[in-house]
Amino acid sequence: MSATTTDPVRSKATRYAILTVVSAILIAPLVFMVSIALSSDRTSKQMSFSFFPTEFHLGNFVRAFTSDLPMGQFLINSILIVVFSCIGMVFSSAVVGYGFARIRAPFKGFLFMVLLSTMMIPAEVLLIPQFIIFRNLGWIDTLLPIIVPNFFANAYNVFLVRQFLTRIPSELDDAAMLDGLGHWGIFRRIAMPLMMPVLAAITIFTFTFNWGYFFGPLIYINTESKMPLALGIQILSATSSGAQTPPWNMVMVGALILIVPMVAVYHFGQKYLYETGLVSGSVGLK
Amino acid sequence: MTTTARPGENFVPRPGGPAGPPTASLEPHRRMGAIMRPALRRKRTREALTFYAFISPWLLGFIVFTAIPMIASLVLAFTNWDSFQPPVFIGFANFVKMFTDDPLFWQALAHTLYFTVVSVPLSLLIALGLAQLLSRPMRGARFFRTIVYIPALVPLVAGAMIFKWLFAPDSGPVNGFLALFGIKGPAWLLDPNWVIPGIILLSLWQVGAGTILLIAALQGVPPELYEAARIDGASRFQQFWRLSVPLVTPILFFNLITGMISAFQVFSQVYVLTDGTSGPDNASLMMVPYVYDSAFRNYNMGYASALAWVLFLIIMALSAIVLRSSRAWVFYETEVRQ
Repeated sequence: MSATTTDPVRSKATRYAILTVVSAILIAPLVFMVSIALSSDRTSKQMSFSFFPTEFHLGNFVRAFTSDLPMGQFLINSILIVVFSCIGMVFSSAVVGYGFARIRAPFKGFLFMVLLSTMMIPAEVLLIPQFIIFRNLGWIDTLLPIIVPNFFANAYNVFLVRQFLTRIPSELDDAAMLDGLGHWGIFRRIAMPLMMPVLAAITIFTFTFNWGYFFGPLIYINTESKMPLALGIQILSATSSGAQTPPWNMVMVGALILIVPMVAVYHFGQKYLYETGLVSGSVGLK
Repeated sequence: MTTTARPGENFVPRPGGPAGPPTASLEPHRRMGAIMRPALRRKRTREALTFYAFISPWLLGFIVFTAIPMIASLVLAFTNWDSFQPPVFIGFANFVKMFTDDPLFWQALAHTLYFTVVSVPLSLLIALGLAQLLSRPMRGARFFRTIVYIPALVPLVAGAMIFKWLFAPDSGPVNGFLALFGIKGPAWLLDPNWVIPGIILLSLWQVGAGTILLIAALQGVPPELYEAARIDGASRFQQFWRLSVPLVTPILFFNLITGMISAFQVFSQVYVLTDGTSGPDNASLMMVPYVYDSAFRNYNMGYASALAWVLFLIIMALSAIVLRSSRAWVFYETEVRQ
């Protein structure tokens, strides 16, 4: 293989050595996280954690949900947010993307440019008026300000759907149209099944974003029982009001619960990312 | 690229049937001339209405959640408003105060620049180095790639939570490790000089996402180019620097732009690592945390809007500069291949 000779790093041994050190550094924080998550309440109170796990209180993962900590509620809220956001985002992006890809209309090109240009607007610019809108709707301290915007599609996902559809020849559509099927029928019966890979990719993105979303919940949710996991563990970790130490072992249990689904979703979902042409190369998480 | 629909889910009305070219259905209208034109126009109108029905979720969302808020925040930037009393128009006073009479704004801007200028190029360099190491076929490549990528999948809050502990001044593993070499580590997140480097280290930990893109790009470099370079007597370093790097500049450029934009909007890391928005002596106060503070701690919605707009303009300006510079250093294969 000619490729090996092009590497500025000369020997294989050097390369393995570097990669081993880098990998150790990158994985170290997670080892420490597991160690804290598995430590006893006593260790947690004294905050005398060891880097490698020395205690193995696997029961912590059960206790996080059975004790009086609202961890179970956090998890339910996170799941609610993610499920509804994904449904809303997938459906709205598919419909809008189909419109931009397959239906002729005046100002379509212009509207598509508008759509693309919204990608450049940072969230902070829209933050305050959006907050006022949601406050006037009486949605503060509910999950609605986090879920509902997903039902109105977003530029990036619409772009993906449109690109995906324009690469599929439209002969089937035309045939169906001659048979008297309207755009809605074509969308439902022909386009939707074909779009499965790109819709799976959008599900992954929407999941990824909302599962760890912190800023929105921080602004809109004040009651502990309504918080998603990402905000909930931060609040738990910050309750160190003088004498009281945060339940660090439980915080890390929560953090691990936040991480595991992310890895799982990528592990099982990456093939859709390939099919959509979003990742042109091996992610290596197989 | 295959776009296979799954069997059973794919309803096809006439599989294999002759599908005419897209214009076929219009032909009869055209031949009949003027008489059918109103009908054609009606069809076009109906199609346009269908289009607007299809894009209505986005269009509605755009108007309500983007266009109106955008205009509103621009107007608010020229007011003094606590979000409860009616806003008071104060002209450019917010901007004048920001630039002439608000040390916190300059601190936030300086810290954000510091964070961006250090973390973005550094993570590009590390990603490029790792990608170079990982792009060659070798035993265990998949294992190492997985390890490199996993931190990038960790939600920021969870990542920040553990970094807070890694950086604990007395009992944290980072200082424990440094102590092995007789180095007394700083107080990191509690030390005004070390809090931003701490935040930078967290962002470097998540270098995997960029690495994966670069691995793909490096693997896409045609081997015959290396062959040719070797025959011409290029050293390995020259092959890397003169051949690999130029060929992956489009990906480097993409990582630079997206990295820069998101670095400028850093929030969650700061908030979690320093238990709030500002850190010791405001040492880690950055732009978005400052917007957040102004709006939701001080209820100064007008000033917060002005800050957000200034941030937006800075991001646009920097992106434009990088985009312009890209003509000089980003290399597109089509330039030579065609």
